[in-house]
Amino acid sequence: MQTQRIEYDDTTVRRFIWASILFGVVGMLVGILVACQLVWPALNFGIPFTVFSRLRPLHTNAVIFAFVGNMLFAGIYYSIQRLFKARLASNFLSNLHFWGWQAIIAAAAITLPLGITQGKEYAELEWPIDLAVVVIWVVFALNFFWTMAKRNEKQIYVAVWFYIATIVTIAVLYITNNLALPLTLGKSYSIYAGVQDALVQWWYGHNAVAFFLTTPILGIMYYFLPKAAERPVYSYRLSVVHFWALVFIYIWAGPHHLLYTSLPDWAQSLGMLFSVMLWAPSWGGMLNGLLTLRGAWHKLREDPVLKFLVAGVTFYGMSTFEGPLLSIKTVNGLAHYTDWIIGHVHSGALGWNGLMAAGMFYWLVPRLYGTKLHSVKGADLHFWLATIGIVLYMVSMWISGVTQGLMLRAMNPDGSLLHPEFLETLAAIQIPYLVRALGGAMYFTGLIIMCWNLLKTALAGKAVTTTIEVVVAPKQPAPAGEGLVGIILGRPFVFSGIILVFVLAIGFMTSPLAAMALMGVILLLSVVAWIVNTRDKKAGRKSWFAIIEGNAVAFTTMTLLAILIGGVAELLPTLLIHQSLPKDAAKYQQPYTALELQGRDVYVREGCYLCHSQQVRPFLAETMRYGEHSQLEEFVYDHPFQWGSKRTGPDLHREGVKQRPSSWHYNHMIDPRATSEGSNMPAYPWLLSNKIDAKLGEKKLRLMQKLSVPYSNAQIDFAEQDQQAQAEAVLKDIGADGLEWNSELVALIAYLQKVGKSQGIAFDAPSVRAAGTPVGMLEGGR
Amino acid sequence: MSENNRVHHVYDGIEEEDNRLPNWWLAILIGTIVFSFGYWFVYETTQKLPSPLVAYEAEKAANAAAQAKLAADTPLGDDSLWAMTKDADMVAAGKKVFSQICVSCHLDKAQGSIGPNLTDKYWIHGYEPMKIIEAVTNGFPEKGMEAWGARLGAERVKQVAVFVLSIRNTNESGKAPEGDIIDPAGN
Repeated sequence: MQTQRIEYDDTTVRRFIWASILFGVVGMLVGILVACQLVWPALNFGIPFTVFSRLRPLHTNAVIFAFVGNMLFAGIYYSIQRLFKARLASNFLSNLHFWGWQAIIAAAAITLPLGITQGKEYAELEWPIDLAVVVIWVVFALNFFWTMAKRNEKQIYVAVWFYIATIVTIAVLYITNNLALPLTLGKSYSIYAGVQDALVQWWYGHNAVAFFLTTPILGIMYYFLPKAAERPVYSYRLSVVHFWALVFIYIWAGPHHLLYTSLPDWAQSLGMLFSVMLWAPSWGGMLNGLLTLRGAWHKLREDPVLKFLVAGVTFYGMSTFEGPLLSIKTVNGLAHYTDWIIGHVHSGALGWNGLMAAGMFYWLVPRLYGTKLHSVKGADLHFWLATIGIVLYMVSMWISGVTQGLMLRAMNPDGSLLHPEFLETLAAIQIPYLVRALGGAMYFTGLIIMCWNLLKTALAGKAVTTTIEVVVAPKQPAPAGEGLVGIILGRPFVFSGIILVFVLAIGFMTSPLAAMALMGVILLLSVVAWIVNTRDKKAGRKSWFAIIEGNAVAFTTMTLLAILIGGVAELLPTLLIHQSLPKDAAKYQQPYTALELQGRDVYVREGCYLCHSQQVRPFLAETMRYGEHSQLEEFVYDHPFQWGSKRTGPDLHREGVKQRPSSWHYNHMIDPRATSEGSNMPAYPWLLSNKIDAKLGEKKLRLMQKLSVPYSNAQIDFAEQDQQAQAEAVLKDIGADGLEWNSELVALIAYLQKVGKSQGIAFDAPSVRAAGTPVGMLEGGR
Repeated sequence: MSENNRVHHVYDGIEEEDNRLPNWWLAILIGTIVFSFGYWFVYETTQKLPSPLVAYEAEKAANAAAQAKLAADTPLGDDSLWAMTKDADMVAAGKKVFSQICVSCHLDKAQGSIGPNLTDKYWIHGYEPMKIIEAVTNGFPEKGMEAWGARLGAERVKQVAVFVLSIRNTNESGKAPEGDIIDPAGN
C-alpha cells in the first residue's frame, strides 16, 4: 500500500469566505436602501445611478451571485477536498476562478447602476459579462471535476451529488437563457420573444433559485451539519430518493411564475403540478438535516454554529412549503405581483441562505485560523437579531401582500371595483413597508456583528495549512456490470425510462380512457419495479445507486439527463410556437417604430419592469382595472419580454390603449406625485436632457429584422427621418418649452402610447359596454 | 436497533446511517403525485373543469348580465340627475371621487390642466347630465379622457357627474375655454 501526503488548499477557501462577507454587507445595505425608497421616494436622490429601478437588480445580483456565490464556492472547495481526500486540482484554476468571479462582480456593480441591462430578472448582466460568467463557470467545473478525478475515495458522498447537479444545471440554464444578439458592447436583444422569452426566463429564474441557491447549500448542509453536530446523517436512502426526485422535478416548475399569463394553459398546469410534487423532495433535505440532530438537540444551547444551521434548515422547510402553496393557481392568483412573493424569497435568501452561510462561517473561520471563535455571545446576538429580523420581514410582507391582493380584487355590490385607484392600495401598506425596512436593518446589524466577530477571530489566530496522509489504492478496472454500460442497463434506469415515457405520453392524451389505461400501466410498472428492487436487496446485491455513486462520469451524465427531460419537454413545444402560432393572426402586435423601439430600450434600461407588469390576467377585477387581458400573439416582437413579476405600480400592458395625453406622461415622469398623489415612483428628470442616438435606430431595426421582426428595408433606410417625424408629433402634443425631439422622454412616451395596442382585439370596457348601453345606472341605492 | 440503523458509509468522519423513510413523508410524496395525475386528468385530458380563460369568460358574462339588468331596472335621466345636485351627501360623495381620480388631469378646483376647465360655460361634448354620465363612463380615449365606467362603477359615476353638475359656472380661473358656450336659460 502506497501512501501520499496531501496539503489542502485552504487559501482559496479563506478568500471566498471574506469575499462573500464583504459582498453580503454591500448587497444587504443596498437592500435596505431600496426598501426605504419604497416608503420615501426622495431617497432616490434624483440621479440615475441611485434610482430604485437600477439599484434593485444590483441588490438581487449582489446577494445571489456575490454573497451566496462566494459562500458556496468556499463551502464546496473546503468540503470536496476532505470528501475526495485530494487537494484542489490546480492552483492556477483556483486563482482564476476566485479573481475572475470577483471581476465579474465588480463589472456588475458598475454596469447595473449605469443602466446596462438585458432587462430579464437575475439575468440582467449584459453579454460581455455573460461570456465571462460562462468562462469562469467552466473554470470552476474543470477544477471541480479534475479534483474529483484525482480523488482517493471511490464512493461519492451525497454533498457532492448536489454540487454536481449545481455545476451541470447552472451551465445549461445560464447559456440557454442569455442567448442574445449584441447591438453594441453594452446592449443586446434576447433571441427569444414574448411568451417564449418569458418561459425561458422563468425556467432559468426558477432554477437559478433551485440550482444556485438550493442544491449547493443542501450539499453544504450535508457536510457541515453532521460535522458540527458530530452525529451520523439520518438516512442514506432518504438522500437517494430526495436527491433524484429534486433534480428531476425542480426543473419543470418554472412556469409557476407565469400562472394566468398568456402562457398556454398546459404549461401552466405542468408548472403548478411539479411545484406541488416538489414539496416532499424538498422536505427530504430538511428532514435529513434535522433528524441528523436526534440525540444532540441539547448542543443547540451552547453551539452558535448549530443554532444557525438548524434555523437555516428550518427556514428552508418553511419556504419549500410556502413555494408549492404559492404555485397553486388560485393562491397564486391572489399572491402573484404582490409583496407576498417578496416575503417568500426573503425567507429563502435571509433564512436559508443567510443563516446557513453564517453557520458555515462560524464553523470554518476558527478552524481555518487555528483558534477559537472570538465571541460566542456575539454570535448569539447575531442569531437573535437575524431571526427576529427575518420574522418581521416575512410577516410584514404577508400582511402587505394579502392586503393589497384583496384590495385590488374587491368589488362593490354593483359589480364595480371597490378601489378603482391603484394608489389606494399603496397607501394601505405603508406600515408593513416600514416594518420590512426595520426587519432588514436588524438582519443587517447582525451581519455587521458577525463581520467584527470573524475578523477578531482571524486576527487572533493565523492561517493554518492542513496536511493529511492518505492511502492510495491501486487503480482497478471496474467490476463487471459497474461500467457505464452496466449502469445504463441497470434496472432502476430502465424502469425509470419506461415509466417516464408512459407519463409523458399522458400529456398528449385527449381520450380519458387511454389516459386511464396509461395510468394503470404506470401503476403496475411501479409495483413491479418495487418488487424487483426488494428482491435484489434481499439477495444482497450491490444496489444500482451504490454503483453509480462510484462512477463520476455516469453520475454526472445521469444528473444532466434528469434535468434535461423537464427542460426539453416544456421549452421545445413553446419554442416551436413561433411556427405554429397564427392561432389568431389578426391579434398580432404591430412591430414597434424606430422611435418606439428606442423608447422601449429606455424602458428596459431604467428597469420599469421591476415595478410594472405588462400582463393583464384574465380576472374580472383585473380587466376592469387595466383593460382586455393579454394574449400570447401580442408579444411576438418583444425582445426581451417585459411582463414583469411585481406590481409596485399598476400594470402597463394596456397603457397605449388608454391614450393618455403626452403631457400627462411628461408631468408624470418629471414628478410622479404631480399627477398621482401618494405615488412612490421615482422621478426620472434625466430623461429630459438625455438624447437618443437616432443613428442607432436603423441598426436596431436591422437587428430586429434578423430576429424575424417583419421590417421592410424602406423602414430601416428611413429610420432616422421616421424617428424625427414621430417625435415632433409627440413633442407638439406635450407642448413643453425647451424639450427637443430627440429627448429620451419623447421616445419613451411614444413607446408607452403604443404598448398593448394590438390589432384585432376589441378594447371595450367589459362590463359597461358589453351591456349595450353606457348609461345603465343605479338610482339612489347604496 | 434494527438493521436499518446500520452505518452505510463513512466520509471524512461523517457517518451515514440508513434509516427508513418516514411514513408521513412518503405519504406526502405519493399523495402529491396522485393529486397531480388526477388534476391533469380533470383539467387537461378531459377538460371537465374549466381552464382559467373559460372561467373568466363565464365570470365576465355573468357580470355583464347583472349590469344589463341593473340598467333596465333603474333608468337615469337628466331631470333626476339635476334633482340630485341638491342632495349635499351625493355632491360630497362625488367630490371625494373627483379628488381621487379626476384631479390628475382637471386639477383640484376642476379648473383644468391636461383636461378642460369644468367650471366655465364652455363644453366640448355637451353638458346635459346624461352627456356627462356618458363622458365619464366611456371617456374620449382619442383625446386622452379614460373610460371610467368599468373601474368606478355606476354608483360612483353618478356621484361624480352630479358633483360636476353642481360646480357648473363657478368660473374658476384656469385653463382657457374650449368648446361651445352652452348657457341654458336659468343658469
